[in-house]
Amino acid sequence: MLAYFAKRIGMMVVTLFLIITLTFFLMHAIPGGPFTSEKMLAPEIEEALNAKYGLNDPLWVQYLNYLKGIITLDLGPSFKYPGIRVNDLILDGLPVTAKTGFLALLCVAALGIPLGILAALNQNKWQDTAVMMLATVGVAIPSYVVATVALYIFALQLNLVPTFGLDDWRGYILPVAALSGFWLSFIARLSRSSLLEVLGQDYIVTAKAKGLHPLSILFKHGLRNALIPIVTVLGPVVANLLTGSFVIEQIFALPGIGRHFVLSISNRDYTTIMGITIFYAAFLMVMILIVDILYMLLDPRIKLADRNK
Amino acid sequence: MTQSPLLKVRDLTTSFFTSRGEVQAVRGVDFDIHAGEVLGIVGESGSGKSITCMSVLRLLKNNGRTIKGTAHFEGRDLLELSELEMRRLRGNDVAMIFQDPMTSLNPTLTVGEQIIETIIAHKNISRSAARERVVELFELVKIPEAASRLGAYPHEFSGGMRQRVMIAMALSCDPKLLIADEPTTALDVTIQRQILLLLKEIQSRLGMAIILITHDLGVIAEVTDRILVMYGGTAMETANVHHLFDKPMHPYTQGLLASVPNVNNIDGEKLKPIPGSPPDMLRPPKGCPFMPRCDKAMEICVTTGAPEFEIDDAQSHKSRCWLHHPDAPQQKGDAA
Amino acid sequence: MNNLNQKIDPQQWAPAKVDAGEAEFIAAPSLTFWQDVRSRLWQNRPAMFSLAFIILLVAAAIFGPMISRHTYFDQDLKLSNIPPILQLYEVQNEGQAATYFFLNSGNFKLYETTEDGELKSILRAKRKDLINKRHIYEFGERRIFVDYSTLPARIVDADENAIDAYGTKWNKTYWFGTDSLGRDVLVRQLYGARISLTVAFIATLVNFFIGIFYGGVAGYFGGNVDNIMMRIVEVIATIPLTLYVILMMVVLQSGFISIIVAIGTVFWVDMARIVRGQMLTLKNQDYVDAAKTMGASTWHILTRHLLPNSIGPILVTLTLLIPSAIFIESFMSFIGLGVSVPMASWGTLTSEAVETLRSYPYQLFFPAAAISLTMFAFNFLGDGLRDALDPRLRK
Ligand SMILES: Nc1ncnc2c1ncn2[C@@H]1O[C@H](COP(=O)(O)OP(=O)(O)O)[C@@H](O)[C@H]1O
Ligand SMILES: [Mg+2]
Repeated sequence: MLAYFAKRIGMMVVTLFLIITLTFFLMHAIPGGPFTSEKMLAPEIEEALNAKYGLNDPLWVQYLNYLKGIITLDLGPSFKYPGIRVNDLILDGLPVTAKTGFLALLCVAALGIPLGILAALNQNKWQDTAVMMLATVGVAIPSYVVATVALYIFALQLNLVPTFGLDDWRGYILPVAALSGFWLSFIARLSRSSLLEVLGQDYIVTAKAKGLHPLSILFKHGLRNALIPIVTVLGPVVANLLTGSFVIEQIFALPGIGRHFVLSISNRDYTTIMGITIFYAAFLMVMILIVDILYMLLDPRIKLADRNK
Repeated sequence: MTQSPLLKVRDLTTSFFTSRGEVQAVRGVDFDIHAGEVLGIVGESGSGKSITCMSVLRLLKNNGRTIKGTAHFEGRDLLELSELEMRRLRGNDVAMIFQDPMTSLNPTLTVGEQIIETIIAHKNISRSAARERVVELFELVKIPEAASRLGAYPHEFSGGMRQRVMIAMALSCDPKLLIADEPTTALDVTIQRQILLLLKEIQSRLGMAIILITHDLGVIAEVTDRILVMYGGTAMETANVHHLFDKPMHPYTQGLLASVPNVNNIDGEKLKPIPGSPPDMLRPPKGCPFMPRCDKAMEICVTTGAPEFEIDDAQSHKSRCWLHHPDAPQQKGDAA
Repeated sequence: MNNLNQKIDPQQWAPAKVDAGEAEFIAAPSLTFWQDVRSRLWQNRPAMFSLAFIILLVAAAIFGPMISRHTYFDQDLKLSNIPPILQLYEVQNEGQAATYFFLNSGNFKLYETTEDGELKSILRAKRKDLINKRHIYEFGERRIFVDYSTLPARIVDADENAIDAYGTKWNKTYWFGTDSLGRDVLVRQLYGARISLTVAFIATLVNFFIGIFYGGVAGYFGGNVDNIMMRIVEVIATIPLTLYVILMMVVLQSGFISIIVAIGTVFWVDMARIVRGQMLTLKNQDYVDAAKTMGASTWHILTRHLLPNSIGPILVTLTLLIPSAIFIESFMSFIGLGVSVPMASWGTLTSEAVETLRSYPYQLFFPAAAISLTMFAFNFLGDGLRDALDPRLRK
C-alpha cells in the first residue's frame, strides 16, 4: 500500500518535472526575447529589462533558476504586468475558477450518473431515448457555442440571468451549465453503458439466483462495479473542466485563472503562460492521484496487482 | 415412484426475441425430479440445457420469454409466482451454480460477504451467525483455512477453489434443489472430477436433489441417478443412468454416447462424432430436430416431431423417436 | 400422449430423402462479416443521414467557394452586417418605377434593392439629424425619414406616419448576409468548412499513422519494448491535451500548418493503445503462428494479418477522432490561436460573431449550426459504426 503510493508520487514528480522542462524549453524556443515584440521599447531599455529578469544568462542557468523558484513555489514575475508575479495572478483567479469548476463537477456527477442510471434501467424506453438524445446533443455541441447561444437567449433576450459577473447566484447558472454540458452528457452516456455492461454480467445473474432484493442487486452489485470506469474518467473530466474554463471565463467575463491564461496568451506573456501551465499540470497530477485512490478503494483487484509486483 | 415430484416441468417453451428473429431455445420440455434425486442433463452445446433451468428459475435475459408450460415446485407453479415469492425461493429452496466461477462471482466483494448476504436475505439470523455458517460451509466444501479465507476476493482464489465458493454459496440456505449448470466445464481437467465427486458427496450427506448439467459423460454415471438427453430445445430421451448407458434408444443418444469417451467405450473403441451440426434455433426443423443428422430419418420425421414413447417404466425410460412407434420398421432389432 | 398409437400413413415410414431434409433446413443466409456490418450500418438511419450530410458538406466545402461570385476575403465596408432576410420598403415615384430599399436595423443605413431582394447599393442620406436621431432620404419628390429616436428604428414619411414594410425577402445577393467587414457570410462559411475539415482530416491522419506505428511496434514486439513504450504513453496521457495544443500554438505561432502539427501530434495515444491491445490479442492466434511457420516476414504479418483484423476498433476511433479535431481546432481559433486572418474557420467565424452578438445575433447562427451539425454527424456515424462492428452492443 505505502510502497504503491510512494511509487505513484514518484511517478508524479517525474512527470511534473518533464512537463516543467518541456514547457520551459518550448517557451524559450520562441524566436525573439519576450520584450522584442514591444514596438516602443528602446534597445537600452530592452537590455535593462533583459538584465533585470536574468534573460542574458545562459539558458541552463535560467532553467536552474526557474526550477529553484518552483521548488519554493514561486512561478516568477509576469513579463507584461510590471511588479506582479504569476503566483499573484493565479491566487487572484483561483476562487472564481475553483468555484465554477467545483459546481460544474458537482453537476456532472450529481446529474450525469443518475441520468445514465435512469436510461440504463429503462433501456429502449422513452426515458432512455430522451436521455440519450440530450446526451448526444450535449456531446456534439461545443461548449463555447452552448455558452454564446445561452448567453444570447437567457441573458440578452430574456434577461433572466446577468450577462457577466458572479454577483449573485444566477450569474453562476450559465457558466456552470456551459462548462458542465459536455461532461455531463459524456458521463450520462458512460454511466448508461457501464451499468448495462455490468447488469449483463454473470455475477448479476448469480445475485438474482441468490434471491437478493433488486435494490441490493442494483446498488451493491451493479452500481458499485459500474462506477469503476466512471471514476477512472473523473481525472480527465477535471482536466477538461479546467481547460474548458478558458473559453467560458472569456465569454462570461469571469475573472478566473482561465481568463488570465487566455489574456497572457494574446499578450505573449511567456512567464505567465508557463506558470499557469505548470500550475494546471500539478493540479491535475494531484487530481489523478486522488482518482487513483478512489479507484483502488472500489476495485480490490488493483491492490493485489500491485502488492504482487 | 409414488410420491409427487419435487419439480415437475411440463411443455416448457422459451424463446429469445432478437433483431434477427425468434430464437426458439426451449421447445416443450417435460421432466420430473424427485426429492433427493440427481438428474443429469446432457446434450451438445446450444441444445437448451441452460435455458431450461434459467426458465424454471425465471432468470432469463430481458429478451427471453417463457411462452408456455408449467414448472411445479412442491406443488406451486414457479412460472405463476409473484416476483416476491420467487425471490424468497431463489437461493433458498432452489439454488444454482454456474458454469464459469471466474465471472459468476462479483469481483469487488469478498467471497465471505457474497455468501453472508445470501444467508441474511433468507434467514433471520445475525451477521456474526451468518459468518460462522460460512466458515462451516467452507469446511464442508473443503476450502483449506476456511476461517481466514472469508475476507479474500474472488481473484485471490484458483478456479477450482472459486467453484467451491460457488457451491458453498449455493448450499448456504440448505436448498431442496440445487441446479448446477456445467459446474466443471471452465475448470482444469484434473479438478473437474474432484468437484463433481464433492457435489455427489455433499448430496449424499445433505440429501437435496440436484440437476446437473454436464458434458462429462465419463463421470456422469458415478454421480447421477437419471439422465435427460436434450437436443434442439427438446428432451429426447430420459432413463435411469445405467439403463440409458446400456440401452440407449434414441439415435441421438446413441450417437452422443459413441462420440465421447465414457464408461461404455472406455477401452479404446473408436469415437465417432455425429456428422453435421446442431440446428439453428432461429429456424428449427419442422419435424424432429435431429432429423437432418439422423441416418435413420424417415419421411415422418421431416414433418412431425415424435411424441414421447414409454420404453421401460421401471427404469423411467422414455424416448422421442418415431422408431419406437409400433408400426415403424424394425431397426436391426433394437427398437422397442 | 394420444397420438402414440395413432394410425400413420405407411408411406411415412420410408427413409427420408436427404434433399427433402436439406430443403427443410435452409439456414438464415450467412453473410460475411463486412456484409453484415454494412447491412447493419445501412439500417442505422441517423448514421446514414450523417454520412450523407458529411458527403454533402465536403462537396460544398470543395466546390462552394469555386462557384460563388464572392470570395472569402473581399471586403466592402459599405455593405457590412447585412442580414440574410431583408425587410423591404417601397417608395412610389410618379412616372417612374417604384424604388425598393431595406433598413438595416443595426446601423440605420438604407440599401436599395430590387423588388425580389437583390441588393443594388447603399443609399446616401440627404441629411443626418443627429440631435433628433433621424436620417433624411429623398427619392425624387418624396422624402422619408429613418427615425431611430425610439428603438427599433422606424421609417416615417413627411407627415410623421410610419411606413409599413412592403414585405420580407431572402437576400438574393448575400444568401447568408454579410459580416462586419462586408464579406459574404456564406462563402466564408464554406471556406471555414474547408479549413476546419482539412485541419481535422489531416490531423486525424497524422494521429492515425503515429498511433498505428507506435501501438503496432509496442504490441508486436511486446516485452520490454512494450513496457517502456506504454510507460511513456502513460506519462503523455496525464498531460491535458488542450494545454499541450495551446503551448504548441504559442510556440509555433498561429497558422494553418501550426494547428495541424499541434493537433496532429496529440490524439494518437488512444489509437496507440487500441492498436497495441488488438495486436497483443491477435498475435497469439493461430493464423499468425501459421503465417510465421510459413516464413512470412514481420512486415507481411503486420500488414496482411494483424491490421485487417484490428481495423474495426481502429475505424471507430478514427471516426470519433475527427470531431475531436474539429472541436479543438475551433476551440483554438475561438481563443485566438487558430488560423490567422483573413483565413476563416468555424472557430474564428464564431468568435467574430460573438463580438457583434448584441447588434447582429443572427451572425452567430450559421457557424454555430455548422459546427454543431458536423459534430453531430461524426458522432452519429462513429456510434453507428461501433454498433455495426460490435453486434454485442446492439439490442
Ligand atoms: N440471450 C439470448 N439471446 C438469444 N438467444 C439465446 C440467448 N441465450 C441463449 N440463446 C440461444 O438459446 C439456445 C440454447 O442455449 P443454452 O440453453 O445456453 O444451450 P446449452 O445447452 O449449451 O446450455 C442456443 O441456441 C442459444 O443460441
Ligand atoms: Mg449452457
